[in-house]
Amino acid sequence: MFNRVAYKYGFCLALVLLPLLVVAEDFRASIHGISMSVKNHFYALSADIDYPLSAKANEALQNGVPLYWDIDIHLQRPRHILWDKSLVAKKLRYRLQYHALLNMYRVIDENSGEIHNFSTLPAALELMSSLRDVPLLEEAALVQEKQLLIALRVELDRNALPLPLRPIAYLNRQWYLSSEWILWPWTK
Amino acid sequence: MALDKMKPSVNLSVLALFGLVMLLLQLMSSATQESSELGEMYSWLLVVNVLGSVILLWLVGANIYTLTRQLKKREAGSRLTTRMVSLFVVLALSPAAIVFYFSMQFLHQGIDSWFNVEIDRAMEDALELSQASLDQRMRWHLRQTQQMAATLAITDSQMLTQEVENLRDLAGASEITLFSRPGKIITSSSVNPGDILPSLPNEDIWLRLRQNADYIALDPVANNELVIRALVTIKSADPKYLQVLYPVPVRIADLADSVEFAFLRYKEMGFLRHSLKLSFSLALSLVLLMSLLAAIWVAFISIRSIIAPVKALVKGTQAVASGQYDQKLPVIAQDDLGFLVESFNEMTQRIASARDETRIASFEVENQRAYLETILANLTAGVISFDANYQVRTANQAAYRIFHIPVNVLIGRTLLSLAESESELAEPLKSIHRLLEQADDIWEQRMAFLSHNGRQELLCRGTPLFSQDGARVGAVAVFDDVTDLIQAQKNAAWGEVARRLAHEIKNPLTPIQLSAERLQHKLAGKLDIMDASMLQRSTATIVQQVEAMKEMVDDFSEYAKPSKKQTVAINLATLIQEVLALYVLKSGVKFKARYESGALIINGDPVSIRQVLHNLIKNALEAIDSNGEIEIGLHRVQKNSTDFIQLAFYDDGPGIKDEHLEKIFEPYVTTKAKGTGLGLAIVKKILEEHGGTIWVDTSRKTGAGFIIQLPAYSPSTV
Repeated sequence: MFNRVAYKYGFCLALVLLPLLVVAEDFRASIHGISMSVKNHFYALSADIDYPLSAKANEALQNGVPLYWDIDIHLQRPRHILWDKSLVAKKLRYRLQYHALLNMYRVIDENSGEIHNFSTLPAALELMSSLRDVPLLEEAALVQEKQLLIALRVELDRNALPLPLRPIAYLNRQWYLSSEWILWPWTK
Repeated sequence: MALDKMKPSVNLSVLALFGLVMLLLQLMSSATQESSELGEMYSWLLVVNVLGSVILLWLVGANIYTLTRQLKKREAGSRLTTRMVSLFVVLALSPAAIVFYFSMQFLHQGIDSWFNVEIDRAMEDALELSQASLDQRMRWHLRQTQQMAATLAITDSQMLTQEVENLRDLAGASEITLFSRPGKIITSSSVNPGDILPSLPNEDIWLRLRQNADYIALDPVANNELVIRALVTIKSADPKYLQVLYPVPVRIADLADSVEFAFLRYKEMGFLRHSLKLSFSLALSLVLLMSLLAAIWVAFISIRSIIAPVKALVKGTQAVASGQYDQKLPVIAQDDLGFLVESFNEMTQRIASARDETRIASFEVENQRAYLETILANLTAGVISFDANYQVRTANQAAYRIFHIPVNVLIGRTLLSLAESESELAEPLKSIHRLLEQADDIWEQRMAFLSHNGRQELLCRGTPLFSQDGARVGAVAVFDDVTDLIQAQKNAAWGEVARRLAHEIKNPLTPIQLSAERLQHKLAGKLDIMDASMLQRSTATIVQQVEAMKEMVDDFSEYAKPSKKQTVAINLATLIQEVLALYVLKSGVKFKARYESGALIINGDPVSIRQVLHNLIKNALEAIDSNGEIEIGLHRVQKNSTDFIQLAFYDDGPGIKDEHLEKIFEPYVTTKAKGTGLGLAIVKKILEEHGGTIWVDTSRKTGAGFIIQLPAYSPSTV
């Protein structure tokens, strides 16, 4: 008796929640076009990142909330028994902010302190999207290794959001903007 | 003891928990402050607090579950705990809920009050004012730049560098650069001689320049400073491009920056309005939830420790109710409950000692009773006690032996009802009952009845029992089987008679006989034939009668004197066979003998036993005619745990009349025309000397029947 009732209500609940699942868009950043090249005796990484900002994130940006993005790059040597050995771990940090006085979008490279101003948001995102020839390791440092693994991730630093927004950022899918870890096997 | 040890640790853990809860809540509160370094940990603190709430909720839930189970089992103290916890929760929850409700109200109203249309408008106006001010400045700088371009358009190419330098000084620009085309610098002048490379416009600026012929914009540069970048085309056959960078005055830049910061801050706050409310509500709810849950949990622990003595008391009371008085409850605290527990312990101790004393007393009484019962049971006299309705209350084993009625049949019945079922005992039972009812004092009466073992003589004594107020509460009857005693008295009397007879009668007989023979001898020759013949007859009669008298006296003295016993093991079956063999041929009587298989051996004097058999057979032969039948049965019986050989002896003669039954074994009792009447008396005497008995089998309806029982032979009795 109880089971029948439970199934009935469970089915109704599923019917109600089904549209939510369909509607729930994915706002996660995606990484593609990863490539490695040698520049000035350095192995350098290039990749393209897509930031499909959600409406909530856009609204927050327009209202002066700065968004901090971390691009984590790991160069790893795969091992069979132990976990992969990390050879290089690099973090690029960008701040995307709206400048009300100039009506511009500003991208600040937190590592170098460079400031880039753009009159449109897509132009600002474009700067963050293109990773071009990011030096990782000296060419001489990788003589023996043939097979390597590149792990990449773009993460929205939710802890850098204003305090009241943080709990919501963890609960609302519109704030799930970070990408998954992308593992790219690289053969020299 | 264990509880005492646990108590400080429980108190410490409760204090530690409260400290931890307060610390977590304080940390979370600090983290919400904008400037706090804990800001980065806010999310973690929130998670830890939620986890803490979940743990507390689980603790409270577990306590409620335990309490519910205890309630279902109706365990001691569970209802009181429930009542106290409910009261505490209601008392704690009500003010907390009211404070929470109003805090939420104030919080929401407070946040809402930060925002209104006027401030919105003012903020936007301030920003617009800043933008307008900067716009005006830009337009002016654009015109200035266009004038510079016009000047440079007519300047000789040789003089361009100098002219640029002059113009920069005049205009107060920070940098002037002249391009021949995008990226191609003709000349440049900067206020900082160290700047080797001028600030180059990007692709976007060049694009906008081509579209609009001139470009003016505020450009943020490093260190958050603003510059006004103006770029115009110098129209000529060989077009050139002039870029001038004007510094924004520090005061204006600061004001604009301040306005922008305030505007953005206000916009951000507006945007975060709902999140802020939610965040504060969440924090407030968490604080309420954690403090309430912690309080309820502590309430559970405290109430449990308060209830513990009550619980122990309830359990102790139950134990006392079930008869366990050795319970000693632990005194946990020296308060009112502790005093109650101490009093309870004292009470149980007193009850236990009282119980022990009672037990010892009842044990003694029981011992006394058992002792009396043992004495009663081993008395040879039968003792029967009656209640007020003359129903048998107790009876000893001797009563059973005398009446042959099992004790369990006796108990609870009146003698009248027993008389109905026991027809043989009807007479004595009725008379005892009558005496019990009528007598007001000790009474004594002799009575006889015919049992399976023959006639039994009883000496009965009885007394009514009175309570202290004189009411009749019952009676006691004591009776002795005096059959053997009377028999012994009779035997003694008969012995005395026999001795006297021998002495007084037999002694004169010899002189009488001798005198008669002498008369015969002396006078026979002197008398004539007739007289001699008469003398002969007379003396013969005298001698004959004297002989007969002598024989009688001998018989009698034989009966009176104890038989000389030389006991040996006798196989009774063989002995019977031997005796019967003497009669089978002489008489035409039919003998029927049935012997049980196995040894039927007794210990006795063969001569005496042979005489018993002779007497019985002779008696029977005299009673029956020549076609009669004598039946002899021999088998083993057990009576009072002793083996007996039972000899049943029946004939089909006229039998024994009821009036003779009582005295058939007494001397000189005979139903026959001739005979001394000592036959059965001697039989009985011999059997008694051998430890056996004989009685008339009254159940036999045809002929006469005797049952003889002799102890079976056992080597130990030899």
